[in-house]
Amino acid sequence: MKFKIKFADQIVGLFIIVALAFFVVIVVLIGANQRWFAKDYRFVTSFQSAAGAAPGTSILMKGFTIGKIDKLTLNADNGVDAEFHIYDDYYDKVREYSILELTVSPIGLGSQLLFHPGTGEALLEEGAFVPTADSIQGQSLIDQELVLIPPKDDTITRLLANVNPLLENTSKTIVTVNRTLTEVNRALAGQSSGPLGDIVGDVSAAAAALPGTMAGVEGIVDDVEGRVAALLDQAGSLLAELELIAGNLEATTAAVRDPTGLVTTLLDPSGSIKTFLDDDDALYKKVMSIIGEADKAVRSLQGIVTGLNGEMPKIAGLLNETKTAIKQAQDVLEGVKNNPLIRGGVTERVEQESLYGAMREGSFE
Amino acid sequence: MAIIAAIGRAARTKASGLLYGLGFFYNVLKETGRFFRRKQVGYKVLIMQILFTGYEALAINAVMAIAIGAAINVIGSSLLPQFGQSQLMYSILIVVITRELGPLLTAFVITARSGTAIATQLGTMVVNHEIEAYIAVGLNPISYLVVPRFIGVVVSMLVLTVYFNIFGLLGSFIVVQAVNPTPIGEYLGALMSTLTLADVFSGLTKALVFGVIVSVVSTFQGFAVNRASTEIPVAGIKAVGSSFILIIVADVLVTLVQYA
Repeated sequence: MKFKIKFADQIVGLFIIVALAFFVVIVVLIGANQRWFAKDYRFVTSFQSAAGAAPGTSILMKGFTIGKIDKLTLNADNGVDAEFHIYDDYYDKVREYSILELTVSPIGLGSQLLFHPGTGEALLEEGAFVPTADSIQGQSLIDQELVLIPPKDDTITRLLANVNPLLENTSKTIVTVNRTLTEVNRALAGQSSGPLGDIVGDVSAAAAALPGTMAGVEGIVDDVEGRVAALLDQAGSLLAELELIAGNLEATTAAVRDPTGLVTTLLDPSGSIKTFLDDDDALYKKVMSIIGEADKAVRSLQGIVTGLNGEMPKIAGLLNETKTAIKQAQDVLEGVKNNPLIRGGVTERVEQESLYGAMREGSFE
Repeated sequence: MAIIAAIGRAARTKASGLLYGLGFFYNVLKETGRFFRRKQVGYKVLIMQILFTGYEALAINAVMAIAIGAAINVIGSSLLPQFGQSQLMYSILIVVITRELGPLLTAFVITARSGTAIATQLGTMVVNHEIEAYIAVGLNPISYLVVPRFIGVVVSMLVLTVYFNIFGLLGSFIVVQAVNPTPIGEYLGALMSTLTLADVFSGLTKALVFGVIVSVVSTFQGFAVNRASTEIPVAGIKAVGSSFILIIVADVLVTLVQYA
């Protein structure tokens, strides 16, 4: 008879017993690793939100898992009540004033539930409430330095701690740049009420008034030219008259030389001198009027030139401010472009449920 | 009208066959309950069935488990660190070995080896009128022929699934040492922290269901032979085909129940 047939009972018995032994060993190893036989100390806490926390989430202290969350419930005040346990090996860490801190990455790098031991001497009773760092009670304990919060010494945690302020600063910078550009645009459009807008508005108004002023200047110049031409004409006629007078004077001189007819000639009421001088100051008034108009035109030109000189620093300042704003905007955009966190855009992240957690949702236990 | 009548006849035949199969399964369960209370010669049949179905399939089962476990270990240890998810290797190993492939591949091996053997053996007995002889001398064929095979296949399935887990999870570790040396303590600690009783019982539940399917389908197809010897290989083929389909359907259903 074949060995296998002859000792079939023993072979089958051994076959089954070894499998049972392996099964028992595996179950014992699972139990030992998953603390079935160890005592845990249970406590309660409350979170603002359960985001980043779930039943089974590890509670870490200095990188060591010292406990886990058991249960999360949404309470009547829209807070989240949590029950958790601490392993008996670490129960001596749960002292008075201890707090929990739930840190959630704003950019989806996961979350951590940290335990910070208090400085009190007494151990917390099982079932006691442990506040969280973001609660009023937790903040009070931190402010009073009753809790030992170690510095976040790992790069990722520091990054997580700095990412939020960094993003806020970036956001503020972009908003500021946007406002500046909007203000500059509004100012350039003459719609702003600020100092820059006023300056630009003044310049714009001055520039708008400039064509009218130039037209006025041209009118004045035309008027002056007309008046000067008239004046020249009158001066020409005056010279002609003066020549005539000179001729007359020559004749008078000749007449003076001849005493017989001089007095009669000078005292003649229809003579040329009498006629020239007796015109009711018409010539004088005309000349003064022309000079007055010319003076006004020169003053107006002087006022325009003075106004333009006064506006030049404002225009120069405005151009300098615009140039500085554009340079700052360029620096900010370059900084945003070179930022390693958002360079190349943020890739869409596909949320994947934790396989470890999902498996336990189908638990038989 | 003829088509409708044909469909009706086919439905009635299928329903009748299903009811017959359910009645057969009920009788097997009923006789299984009585099996351990009787000092029958069927006990020897049970031992031999476990020997052939379980013990003799251990070698191929172990080779498959070690190969698959080693492949997962090697691929996982080289691929997953690129995504910073090295710890997922243990979860994948457990899901594949313990929950899914362990029971499924074991069931396929048992179907291919023992399912066909059971169906052809019982079919041959029917053709040779041995079943009629058992009935003539007062022996219940289900009690004497089916129940030992039913229990033997189910027990073999459960035991082989445990071995598949052992070889797949631990045996593969030895192979991986040649490629990627890892401390045994670290490996076992991480593995046992990830492995849960739910994982273990999930695999064993599937093994139990698959064992029931393979044994009942194979014995049913064996008894379905009427009188011609040419029906015997057909019974073997039907046993394998039906078992595979039912195993896959049952696998999906059990998985849905566990994850629902």
